[in-house]
Amino acid sequence: MSVYAKPVEVLIDELGRLPGIGPKSAQRIAFHLLKADKIDAQRLSDAVVAMKEKVSFCDRCFNVAEGEECTICSDIQRDQHVLCVVEEPKDIAAIEKTGAFRGIYHVLLGAMNPLEGIGPDQLKIRELALRVAGENITEVILCTNPNLEGETTAAFIASKILAPFELKVTRLASGLPVGGDLEYADELTLGRALEGRNTVS
Amino acid sequence: MQITKLWLTDFRSYEELELPLDLGLTAIVGANGIGKTNLLEALGVLATLKSFRGAPTDSMVRREAAFAVVRAEGIRDDREVLIEVELGRRRTRAQVNRQRLKRTRDLLGALRLTVFAPDDLALLKAGPSVRREYLDDLLVAIDPSVDAALRELERVLKQRNALLRQSHGRLDEAAAMTLDVWDAKLAAAGDAVTKRREQLVDELLPVVSEAYEHLAGEEVPVGAVYQRSWPEASMAEALVVSRDGDVRRGVSTVGPHRDELVITLNGLASRTEASQGEQRTLALALRLAGHRMVSSVLGEPPLLLLDDVLSELDDDRARALLTNLPPGQTVITSATDLPALAVPDRLFRFDDSGHPVAGE
Ligand SMILES: Nc1ncnc2c1ncn2[C@@H]1O[C@H](COP(=O)(O)OP(=O)(O)O)[C@@H](O)[C@H]1O
Ligand SMILES: [Mg+2]
Ligand SMILES: [Zn+2]
Repeated sequence: MSVYAKPVEVLIDELGRLPGIGPKSAQRIAFHLLKADKIDAQRLSDAVVAMKEKVSFCDRCFNVAEGEECTICSDIQRDQHVLCVVEEPKDIAAIEKTGAFRGIYHVLLGAMNPLEGIGPDQLKIRELALRVAGENITEVILCTNPNLEGETTAAFIASKILAPFELKVTRLASGLPVGGDLEYADELTLGRALEGRNTVS
Repeated sequence: MQITKLWLTDFRSYEELELPLDLGLTAIVGANGIGKTNLLEALGVLATLKSFRGAPTDSMVRREAAFAVVRAEGIRDDREVLIEVELGRRRTRAQVNRQRLKRTRDLLGALRLTVFAPDDLALLKAGPSVRREYLDDLLVAIDPSVDAALRELERVLKQRNALLRQSHGRLDEAAAMTLDVWDAKLAAAGDAVTKRREQLVDELLPVVSEAYEHLAGEEVPVGAVYQRSWPEASMAEALVVSRDGDVRRGVSTVGPHRDELVITLNGLASRTEASQGEQRTLALALRLAGHRMVSSVLGEPPLLLLDDVLSELDDDRARALLTNLPPGQTVITSATDLPALAVPDRLFRFDDSGHPVAGE
């Protein structure tokens, strides 16, 4: 027996699957949309479909991209020798906001986390190795989150992937709140951390 | 901080209660089941936001009520402080001086607490995890930053164990590389915690010996040795040696989570060879020693709660405890009158309605 009309139930289920949205919020959003003008609901559903059709991950760095390459990879003004490795595309947004970095990126699409079944093979680490071997990169900055999983991922990349290459490998300088998310660091702190980065032995 | 007055609303057996406390020793005397431990538990909530009996929050709300309120007036740095904790069936909220705390856990640390309860016999009788927890709680009380190190260790162990389980007893080259980095994290976290615990045990031993001697009234050699679960010099080496076994068993077999605090009396293992009476005295000595250490580091003694200790000790030891209490505020409960010579600064007895009223 369903409490609400079937289409509402389906929408609540779908919304509830999204990250950060529990059953209560899903219900609230569903009823909000039920009451909203049809045209507003249409705009939301169009936006979702358009995003999925037009945007995917950049072939080179796995940032979000409209087409095959993201805007950063296609910007030839950027320093092609310095590569910043991040966990998620949203971390690129956070770093870009600081204006302290003019190089290129590589997105891992996650961090090592055995509890969630995520090891190096589930991340874009092999692709990173290929880029470092094939492109003319002289410095890699490991900008994973300053928490256990991010630190471990950075350690893995530094010691197991980048060690054979002649490269400067750096890690964000301290100053970032430990245990935090890059996304939540304020611009000034993140900018300073980028400028004061430390070489990883 | 010292508590001058406690109010309860719908907390366990109490619908409404107002109880003034002395800055020295307050004694609460009444029959079993009347609500003495409930009172101490409420004081504990002000310090830790949870039950020292390990009971769920829900069970502290009076049957039929929607939420409980524990309110206390106290003195901190010569100023009056009002702490209020609301225990809902779903969430806990806190106010200090009528200002709601944004994060309820910001209350932690405002009031320090040492509890000794009959359950503490487990410190000697139960498995090693209870003694590790005793050390860790003490480390955090002395230096709150240790909490982060302990949580990091716990998380690394969870991650490493998950990885070991997933390897199903065999490690291919890629998995071995992944395990290397988790091992490095475990080695760092493990060495850090081990060092802190070992240092604490060294500092604690003379204090425990002294407390034991005071209670027992005689000099008995007490020993406390922190026993690592690995013989190697560092955790990094230990993890190399244990790797094959860990992979086979799918679990981390060495580390601070497998260590033990061995306590001896007269050279004999207290867990298996001490009498029940000796174990009780030793458990109390461990708590009092921790209390003394925290007092001297913080420069102010925590609130000391002694739940039903007298029934556990013979007359001589009970008197030794009460006539030589550590300085600071103490609340003690008892089913029987306190021994003569031990006069509390304030005494409450329960009347017929189940409320503590000021005794003579
Ligand atoms: N949530 C609750 N609501 C009402 N009464 C409770 C609740 N929890 C415990 N009690 C009552 O409290 C009494 C136990 O109080 P307690 O403080 O442990 O006694 P003691 O004086 O022996 O230490 C029991 O009678 C029990 O029924
Ligand atoms: Mg009791
Ligand atoms: Zn790109």
